[in-house]
Amino acid sequence: MGIEHSTAIVGVGATEQGEIPGQTGNEIAVRAAVLALRDAGIDKSQIDGLVTCKPPRSADNGGVDEDMGHLLGINPAFSTTLDYGACGFSLHLAAAAIHAGLATTVLLTYGTNQRSARANFSTPIGGTADWAALSGFVHVAGPAAMAARRHMALYGTTEEQLGWVSVAQREWAAGNPAAIFRKPMTIEDYLASPYVVAPLRRADLTMISDGGTAVILTRADHVGDFRPAPVYLASLAQQSAMRNDQNPDKVMRPWIADIAKRLYDSAKMRPSDMDLVYLQDATSVWVLQQLEWYGFCDVGEAGPFLADGHTRPGGSLPMNTNGGQLSEAYMWNWMHLYECVRQLRGECGDRQIAGAETALHAQTHDFFKGAATILTTRSAA
Amino acid sequence: MTTYTKPLPDVDDPLSAPFWQATREGRLVAQKCDACGYFRWHPGPVCNECLEPGGTWTELSPAGTLYSYAEYHRALDPAFKDDVPYTVALVELDDGPRMYGLLRSPVTTSDIGSRVEAVFEEATPEVTFVHWRLAEGD
Repeated sequence: MGIEHSTAIVGVGATEQGEIPGQTGNEIAVRAAVLALRDAGIDKSQIDGLVTCKPPRSADNGGVDEDMGHLLGINPAFSTTLDYGACGFSLHLAAAAIHAGLATTVLLTYGTNQRSARANFSTPIGGTADWAALSGFVHVAGPAAMAARRHMALYGTTEEQLGWVSVAQREWAAGNPAAIFRKPMTIEDYLASPYVVAPLRRADLTMISDGGTAVILTRADHVGDFRPAPVYLASLAQQSAMRNDQNPDKVMRPWIADIAKRLYDSAKMRPSDMDLVYLQDATSVWVLQQLEWYGFCDVGEAGPFLADGHTRPGGSLPMNTNGGQLSEAYMWNWMHLYECVRQLRGECGDRQIAGAETALHAQTHDFFKGAATILTTRSAA
Repeated sequence: MTTYTKPLPDVDDPLSAPFWQATREGRLVAQKCDACGYFRWHPGPVCNECLEPGGTWTELSPAGTLYSYAEYHRALDPAFKDDVPYTVALVELDDGPRMYGLLRSPVTTSDIGSRVEAVFEEATPEVTFVHWRLAEGD
């Protein structure tokens, strides 16, 4: 069995999203894990692997596997913690552990109280960022604004075109009772709002919120032991760009196209095979770039593509149907995966995309690395 | 006398001290690899290309092109609250490295790709920053 289709998601759980005062990230993560076990229809004794993800800017060293295992009362054969485990990276590590025979069924957890704890995100981004901070170049909005501005210079992209990222996601969020930002926002509202770091506005930047998500991944030949229909990992790919500003095009992130090529080649699929797309949106610029690098439009064409409404409800490319980090919750792409799995299982009610079988789930760690997964309900056999 | 209240570098850090020594003298320098000639930025113990240790601090042409810029309308670092709106530039130096600094000229989207030149600005007796402006006559 190749690594493709060798694992499947057989359980997901999510807590309420928003402000959860008085709870640590670990307390929130445990509640999500209980919900995932219940969804999977298994007892915790069937978990023999644990991958935990440390939340960003955690003041209490949350998300360490040894603490989570204790809270959950489990002694898994394999366990580890990713310091940068934003969903896809954790998912790939769990799949690799299963493929290596270290575990058969892995529980993945993420929980954060970053909003209640008033975590500070106005910090320099990256290993050499202390230098840039001398010029007030802090927060991911800074380099994201540079990327947007260069896209505008090279391709004529407009602020209105970029605005359709967050407007479309707000429209999707209106159909998601769990979303935090559901107040309608028109493109006129967007354009009338003030800049934070021009050309980016508040609506172009992720919110900060508390919440928990958990996922259960198992070996494909074990999916019959679980209640839900399996969602297989059809293809996985990653790429880093750790040379940072030594790379000629740091903020434009062309290396994402390398992830896309390996991802599609491995699955023997094309962008047009994706029924659903989940692109992590720490900023709207990430969506603009990933639409291009993952081949949903030509490089430079994401502005008109967005303005044409393809990603809006009813459009040709259902994208971030939960509202994403710009409107649902800031969960490091974990809630994108939760939504993706539930869409593929047909459980999303009014916003359900009929007949969706295959989805792309992609993300980046800012300018340093990216991970993407193709998920499908179709068995490889 | 005004007191500089924004972030300052550690000019005594052995790895980067030669850079700050040079900026005090109005010069822009970086480590150049003795083996392959690669200009290294930021300072580091070995060449990022060929991994040769060391290197020689060498003067760079204080000129380049504007790759992009970010215009801060909110002081995401509160130390810059009296500066907003301010603009940060990413500059591609003619000699290779890419550096960030404040952009001291008003710019619009069409200025991306324009020639820029370094401006040496003394913040304290120990620290002179390298910032940027559009090149004259460009």
